[in-house]
Amino acid sequence: MSDAASSFVAPPRPRFEAGTANPYLPMPATVIEVIRETHNIKTFRLVLQDEKAMREFHFEPGQVGQLSMFGVGEATFVINSPPTRKEYLQFSVMKAGEATAALHTLAPGDVVGLRAPLGNFFPYERMKGKDILFIGGGIGMAPLRTLFLFMLDNRNDYGKISLLYGARSPQDMAYSYELPEWTDRKDIDCVLTIDREAEGWGYRVGLIPDVLLGMAPAPDNSVAVTCGPPIMIKFTLQALEKLKFSSNQIFTTLERRMKCGVGICGRCNIGGKYVCVDGPVFSLAELKELPDEL
Amino acid sequence: MSEQKIVSRKFISLGYLPAWLEELALGRTVYVPRQEGRTVLYRPFVPGDLPEFSRRPAESAKHVLFPRSEGLFSFCRKGDPGAPDTRGLLLSESAEPGQAVIFGALSCDARGFFAFDPVYDGCGTKGIAKDVYYLKRRENTALIVKACKTPLSTCFCHWTGGGPASAQGADALATDLDGGILLQAVTKKGAALLESAKLSPATDDQEASARAAHEAAVKAMPSSPSLDGAPEALLGLFDNKAFWHAQSAGCLSCGACTYLCPTCYCFNLTDESNGIAGTRLRTWDTCMSALFTMEASGHNPRRDKAARLKNRVGHKFSYYPRIHDGRFSCCGCGRCIRSCPSSVDIRQIVLNALKENADV
Amino acid sequence: MSIQEELQAVIKEALPDVSCVIGWREGPEPLRAAPLFVRTPADADAFRSGYFAVNNPAVFLPEYKGGKVGVVVKGCDARSVGQLLAEGLIRREEVKVIGFPCNGVIDVDKVAVALAGACDPGEIQAAREEGDELVLTTPSGEIRLRKTAVTADKCGRCLFPNALDADVFVGDTLEPAVSADDYADVAAFEALSLEKRMDFWEQEMSRCVRCYACRNACPMCVCREHCVALSRDPRWLTQSDGVRDKMFFQIIHASHLAGRCTGCGECQRACPARIPVLLLKRALSRRVEDLFAYRAGVDVAGPPPLLSFALEEPKIKERDW
Repeated sequence: MSDAASSFVAPPRPRFEAGTANPYLPMPATVIEVIRETHNIKTFRLVLQDEKAMREFHFEPGQVGQLSMFGVGEATFVINSPPTRKEYLQFSVMKAGEATAALHTLAPGDVVGLRAPLGNFFPYERMKGKDILFIGGGIGMAPLRTLFLFMLDNRNDYGKISLLYGARSPQDMAYSYELPEWTDRKDIDCVLTIDREAEGWGYRVGLIPDVLLGMAPAPDNSVAVTCGPPIMIKFTLQALEKLKFSSNQIFTTLERRMKCGVGICGRCNIGGKYVCVDGPVFSLAELKELPDEL
Repeated sequence: MSEQKIVSRKFISLGYLPAWLEELALGRTVYVPRQEGRTVLYRPFVPGDLPEFSRRPAESAKHVLFPRSEGLFSFCRKGDPGAPDTRGLLLSESAEPGQAVIFGALSCDARGFFAFDPVYDGCGTKGIAKDVYYLKRRENTALIVKACKTPLSTCFCHWTGGGPASAQGADALATDLDGGILLQAVTKKGAALLESAKLSPATDDQEASARAAHEAAVKAMPSSPSLDGAPEALLGLFDNKAFWHAQSAGCLSCGACTYLCPTCYCFNLTDESNGIAGTRLRTWDTCMSALFTMEASGHNPRRDKAARLKNRVGHKFSYYPRIHDGRFSCCGCGRCIRSCPSSVDIRQIVLNALKENADV
Repeated sequence: MSIQEELQAVIKEALPDVSCVIGWREGPEPLRAAPLFVRTPADADAFRSGYFAVNNPAVFLPEYKGGKVGVVVKGCDARSVGQLLAEGLIRREEVKVIGFPCNGVIDVDKVAVALAGACDPGEIQAAREEGDELVLTTPSGEIRLRKTAVTADKCGRCLFPNALDADVFVGDTLEPAVSADDYADVAAFEALSLEKRMDFWEQEMSRCVRCYACRNACPMCVCREHCVALSRDPRWLTQSDGVRDKMFFQIIHASHLAGRCTGCGECQRACPARIPVLLLKRALSRRVEDLFAYRAGVDVAGPPPLLSFALEEPKIKERDW
């Protein structure tokens, strides 16, 4: 953004005790790019208006942020650009309710608010040296993208990296512009699939769990990371268990209606666990410990 | 009386009470129980009016520290004439809250804040965020509780670790004696309030009378059942749909229980705007409402009232204690029972859960 | 056999045909009964009717749609059942209505007034009826109150003490104490100046905590989670809690009940802030009675006047204007 614009913006000055950050105050951010991914998904690239804050912004793969459309409200999205690429922070938004519909009207130059990073993250340190299997369905590819790119940027730390990414149709596939690069790379195994045959589609056809069973990845020294619509998750977990992945080897990330994002407002709990602070990333073993309220 | 150490003590004869309250109200808002319409609520003290002590307040005092609706900050979006493709933004936080005193709250009200404190002080689940709005008000507000003499049929403070004359979470304890009130400060903040010429020194006899009154109040309460094992029992019943359907049959899904509760701290965040300017509001919310957890997609993890009631009871007697040293996030004030149009009785639900679990 | 015992027997008889029978039981407070859901014959022993059975069990009926349910009703509750039927919100064949003659119910707020500070009504340990008196056990001894002083206002103007349209009616029918609702309360209030009325409502509504107990206790409030007060998109109402915002909701609530409210008073009874919201509804009921000669829950044959359109309303002579 231009110098003129940044000088116009008054950075928020905490009026409460010095040193105590106000967890509800968003950081102003400017939209620098909008990508139309599918008919209902858009990707936004943001930079924090405070250049120092942007430089010092630290987050981990899998953490989320609350995006503010001032006048409409906040909604929760994962930061889907990796911490290794920090020229902007990227969020992908599927249009579903009031806040997401408002976000879809954003254009480059518009101002939003951001409270981030929130929540836990993928235990990538513990995944070092292991084979990693990503299984993403639809918009569920967004949180995987962060970890996937992060691992590609630290390629030597990990063993074999595989990605199985599926969507209903080619038109429903977000990040389609990145896919050729991924499928071309020799150091990763990238499998793309759509639910039903479509003209011009050069990859797999079939539901994700079925394709996964066909791929038959070995569970030894492996970790599976999956995210997608509930029905896909349900059958993917079944497929992984059939493939002898243990519940400690499977990670997923949950969605829940959130407001404060810091474990206070009380709505995203599943029993005693708060998705906003104890999650959103859970191993299947941890999920099995939770009461059944998804 | 609580185990807390008394740091100072004073006596006030009833005739001086209005003058003392007026003195406290200099530079502060003093909240007292007041009769409004056919009910008693915590409202700012009005000189000339005595607090209403013949009936217990229908609401808790939580709105003093946690307003029903408060602006967290205001925002203003402005087009920048120098750079037509950018928009500026002005954010300004709401002003600091002023000083306040709550006089004549109930012991259970003070213990309600006790349940708020660890959550709003960032000890919550991972210790990451301090709720500056609540904490500033907590710091700026002194709480003088008044010992109860007789229990209501819905009272059960002693089930949850409290008592009719507990000063937990408060700064001072007031006890009715003949002709006046004994004031015992348990914090420095409380002691500072007792530095007034309107108050006279208290005697050992008065303190002994107060102790006797406290003991009598404790004795007046029916015996308390053990709630040991309640956290595990409730969790064990999580998937027992029949149990929760039966417990929630009379629930109307309104928010009376949660809004009158001293410990219910859930809230919503929404924006109010008019053109380019607006405010982000924090407003009380209730887990009894279907919209509380309704996601934008239409999916709702707590679609029916049984799931929602289970969350309310579970939070107070299972999830919260499992995070916060075994303490219940219920102070036993019984307001949820008294204010429930259907008389849904949380005590009975917890006892039923213990029994159901024992039977399995 | 007392009416209560007869009702218990009738409930047990009804059970094989219905998933449950809704009635009353003793509540956690002596002056307030709680709803009872009888699923087994043994459950019926807890059934209580009488002076403390204030709750309107009709509020639960829409939840049970799709299966058959029994409900024990006072005259006022029966009007709610009638109105739910008139609006097609429940189905006649899915409800077994059990009626009995009602002698009136208590208004706990009036007890608080009658006690005049002697104790908190919550301190009452036991209560019993003795002829025209209500005998209360309190920490400071027994207190006797005239029942006429603590009976709900709605009972004093009740025209239908016997449940209308009951499948089973237990006991002998009662003659109503009055022949018409004169709306004296509404008339007296409307005699005040507009400023005074506005001041009154601003004062009263300032106590509202927006728990929406008024709405949820109303048998005719059937929008549930689709209520304008909570809808997110569009957002009709603000979350800020100014007195005008609270009043706005109550006016919407009352307007939506015009010609539908049966006057059961559950909205007002449910209000933890004791706001006299029934008065708003009665003001509109009076208009509807004048204009359309319609009483909700009584004249159930046709659709309610504000849910239907008549080319020529008998009492609105716009052609003559």
